[in-house]
Amino acid sequence: MNKFFKKKLSIICFIFVPIIFLWHPNWLGFLGIQPYWPLFWLLPWSMINGSINGLIFGFFLGLILDSLTLESSFTQIPGLILCGIWFGRIRIHSDIFVGHFRYGLICFLGSLLCGTLYFAQILVKNFSDSNFLLFITSVQNILAEVFLTGFFAPLICSQLLRLFKFSREKSIIINLAKK
Amino acid sequence: MLDIRRISTSRWWHKRKNWILFAIFLFLVFVRISKGSLYKDFYYFISKPFWPGQFQKEVILQSSEQESLIELNLLKKDNKRLREILNLQQSSNTNTISAAVISRKTGSWWRQITLNKGSKDGVEIGSCVIGPGGLLGRVSSTSFFTSSVILLTSPESKVGVWLDRIQINGLLIGSGDDYPNLIVYSKDTDIKVGDFVSSSPASTLLPPNIPIGIVKSIDKPSKAKKTAKILLLAKPQAIDWVQILKVKS
Repeated sequence: MNKFFKKKLSIICFIFVPIIFLWHPNWLGFLGIQPYWPLFWLLPWSMINGSINGLIFGFFLGLILDSLTLESSFTQIPGLILCGIWFGRIRIHSDIFVGHFRYGLICFLGSLLCGTLYFAQILVKNFSDSNFLLFITSVQNILAEVFLTGFFAPLICSQLLRLFKFSREKSIIINLAKK
Repeated sequence: MLDIRRISTSRWWHKRKNWILFAIFLFLVFVRISKGSLYKDFYYFISKPFWPGQFQKEVILQSSEQESLIELNLLKKDNKRLREILNLQQSSNTNTISAAVISRKTGSWWRQITLNKGSKDGVEIGSCVIGPGGLLGRVSSTSFFTSSVILLTSPESKVGVWLDRIQINGLLIGSGDDYPNLIVYSKDTDIKVGDFVSSSPASTLLPPNIPIGIVKSIDKPSKAKKTAKILLLAKPQAIDWVQILKVKS
């Protein structure tokens, strides 16, 4: 059982992403807005497993999160897929200190991309009603979310990356031992 | 020389009595400028023991309550009869379900709350959810144990509302921030800051006359419509318990 947990640590963390998305801990937020949680998991996962895995799990995350939110006309999938592909192309930096700040910057840009794509969908959907200018005020959502995601990313992503690497190494060792 | 010295030492400002008179004069000027507010407050305290007694107050309150109740019942009957004629939604407070908020997303794009009552308890999609203050939103999906409510601030929320002062219908559209937009399709509407907004009596989605909010600010009129920002009375970020009004068809 213990071995299973160590081996599948990244998948177990994946299950917690929608839970924390639903939980929405207000004490971590700013202006009632939360960091964009799925990116914290997607970044280390894609960095370790590559672009294709990033794309697939970005899509899965998007599907789950879309099912949790009530907005049926808008989706988070495009943003998460693009982030998954992009994160997969980033190499792990050897310098830990630089690496930490890089996570912050990458998540900052990733959440900006996801937020902008989501906002664009809202604008496009309401474009025909000529009410789309009313939604301009919600740009503050993107700004607050981007700031928070960039702020927490160095803390969370570096820890998750360490854990995922550790669990991956464990699983390789276990597989080799079996052979 | 001696005489001169004596006169110079007895100027009017050397007398204490004059200063007292001057102080009284200043006080009276103050009383005049404040329009006697000091006197009125003083009168309030000294007349307090002689006010109409508690007993009299109770008698008056009781009779006024009875009067209001009779009037309310008559209006309810009248309202029900008229609604039946127009085939509109019925308002009813007897068919409510109390539920606790178990998850809330009140910021960002996704503005929704999840309640601990679901289809098991008879919650239906489209039911209206109210909290202390007024309308919060409508139930958008239900599971066996939970139900999700789309808040009025969500970009997907659109409900018909009623401005009581100017007797006009409008459309309340959530815009992804804390203040949804009210759109009135008439350029010359006399909306004012502080106007009360409630659910529309003509709505087929919501029960009538549920308080929603007040007008916070008014935008410049454009084309054939006027828009305003609404401050909601019910605060979803702070409410823990809500009431679900069952849909009555």
